[in-house]
Amino acid sequence: MIWGVVTSLLPLSSLISRPIDLNPANVTVENFILVLASSRGLFSGLINSFIIATFTSAVGLVMGSMAAYALARLNMPNSSRILMMILATQMFPGIVIVIPLFLIMSRTGLVDTHFGLIIVYLSFILPVVIWILKGFFESVPVELERAAAVDGASPLQTFRYIVLPISLPPLFATGVFAFIEAWNEFFFAIILTRIHVKTASIAIAEFSGQYQTLYGQMLASAILASIPVVALAIIFRRFILEGFVEGAIKA
Amino acid sequence: MATLELINIKKKFGDFTAVNDINLRVEEGEFVTLLGPSGCGKSTLLNMTAGLEDVTSGEVHINGKVVNQLGPFERDVAMVFQNYALYPHMSVEENIGFSLRLRKRPKNEIQAKVLKVAEMLDLGKFMHRLPRELSGGQQQRVAIGRAVIREPSIFLFDEPFSNLDAALRLRTRGEIKELHQRLGVTSIFVTHDQEEAMSLSDRIVVLRLGQLEQFGTPEDVYSRPASKYVARFIGTPQMDIFAGAFVNSGGLHFQIGEAGIPLPVSFKTPDTAVDVGIRAEFVVLGSHGFDAAIRLVQPVGPFTYVTVDWQGGSITARVNGVSHMKPKETTKVYIDPEGLIFFDRITEKRIDLI
Repeated sequence: MIWGVVTSLLPLSSLISRPIDLNPANVTVENFILVLASSRGLFSGLINSFIIATFTSAVGLVMGSMAAYALARLNMPNSSRILMMILATQMFPGIVIVIPLFLIMSRTGLVDTHFGLIIVYLSFILPVVIWILKGFFESVPVELERAAAVDGASPLQTFRYIVLPISLPPLFATGVFAFIEAWNEFFFAIILTRIHVKTASIAIAEFSGQYQTLYGQMLASAILASIPVVALAIIFRRFILEGFVEGAIKA
Repeated sequence: MATLELINIKKKFGDFTAVNDINLRVEEGEFVTLLGPSGCGKSTLLNMTAGLEDVTSGEVHINGKVVNQLGPFERDVAMVFQNYALYPHMSVEENIGFSLRLRKRPKNEIQAKVLKVAEMLDLGKFMHRLPRELSGGQQQRVAIGRAVIREPSIFLFDEPFSNLDAALRLRTRGEIKELHQRLGVTSIFVTHDQEEAMSLSDRIVVLRLGQLEQFGTPEDVYSRPASKYVARFIGTPQMDIFAGAFVNSGGLHFQIGEAGIPLPVSFKTPDTAVDVGIRAEFVVLGSHGFDAAIRLVQPVGPFTYVTVDWQGGSITARVNGVSHMKPKETTKVYIDPEGLIFFDRITEKRIDLI
């Protein structure tokens, strides 16, 4: 981590000299300026990553929470089988499905589009979201919902006024998880994108070229790319520590 | 206020029958307890009354109308849950007023009503606290307040005291009884604690394995239990039951082992084999009767329960005040014939023989 910060703040000449020249006089933010302005497209990569990760986590949360609530609470036929199928989708290594996936997406014109990548990410993030949230919804005491029903709340009002407010911390945590997964994803991104929706992780990798590796710029990019994730983690910690449900039920 | 009638109520979970063919009618303003050990179907019966669970077959009537298809709110019932089920993210005020807010009542009306209920329940000082910042007793009162503010036609209580410590439980019991006397709302109360049932109820429903064993006043179930099961379930200490036979030699006796208990002349001897149940207050220890060795001495304050070995089993006597008897000492046991309760040995039902 420290090495990364140091590297990002030094010019390439200092980094490749032997011994490495750590003279503080050489400290520069040139790497950061360069990567943001460069044609390598880190800036657009960050924006692409942001769009994709935001949509993936938002859509994943909305769809995932509804599916998880239904699986946890409603009497659905075959719900345990559905759950196993959802889990089974996690068992395929990405490398097995990536070629058929590429063929399907190129035929439907989804290669190198935000939409295409979001769908792919959702397909492997959604099952995890569903499993995490299902576990949480099951831990919400059923009496709370019954009490709301007795108080005259419709199922929708129960969800809106009771279940949703007490579910915010886990929803937020799961959302952050989905965001980070999508943000860091590399393998599918490098195969399914070309030019337009190159994500930050790809842009960073491209600093490692055939003839030289621009360590300073690469690590400057990496640091820039990790800012949103670190920021989310900090907020996420604050939310998760609030034990909302505690005190609802005396066991 | 309302009447409640359950007609041929049945509930099955898969192959398991939780509630089997229950019929009962609760009158306006009555306080009725559903009593039984865990797994007897009492909570299921309450949930079906509330509309939180469907009945498998049968009809629930409130005020003479079938309410099977209605949800809890339309049935106009309010419920206090075992674990209170307070909304954890809402203050006391919001918890109590939630039902009024859902009905979009004007703000000042809600505020006034909530305040009134809160003050009645001694919660005035805690209006802005969250449930987790309250003690168990206070949480319990919030749960009651949430039910009271609705002014429902029926109150349903699902073991509301089981999370309270003994002292608080007694106090809350008194408070609930007072509340019922004040509001006069028809109430159904679920508990497995027979003492709680006895002290609160106008009538008690004793349930066993989903079936109604007896429906009667506290006095009925105590003094005239319908079956051995009810007799054993009700009363502290537990009723002692012995096998025996009628013997007619120099007057009618009921013979338990060596001991013969003389019976009045008016007695009708039954055709079937019988067992006899004896409550502790009809067992007298002292100078006459049959020899017995003291096994256990349990003082409880106003009484001491003394258990003695007697006729191949044991029998417990209630002695007034503090007894100075000691285990292993011997004493004599006299049984008051007034206190004998006879049961058919096969069907286990009580039979009246006088």
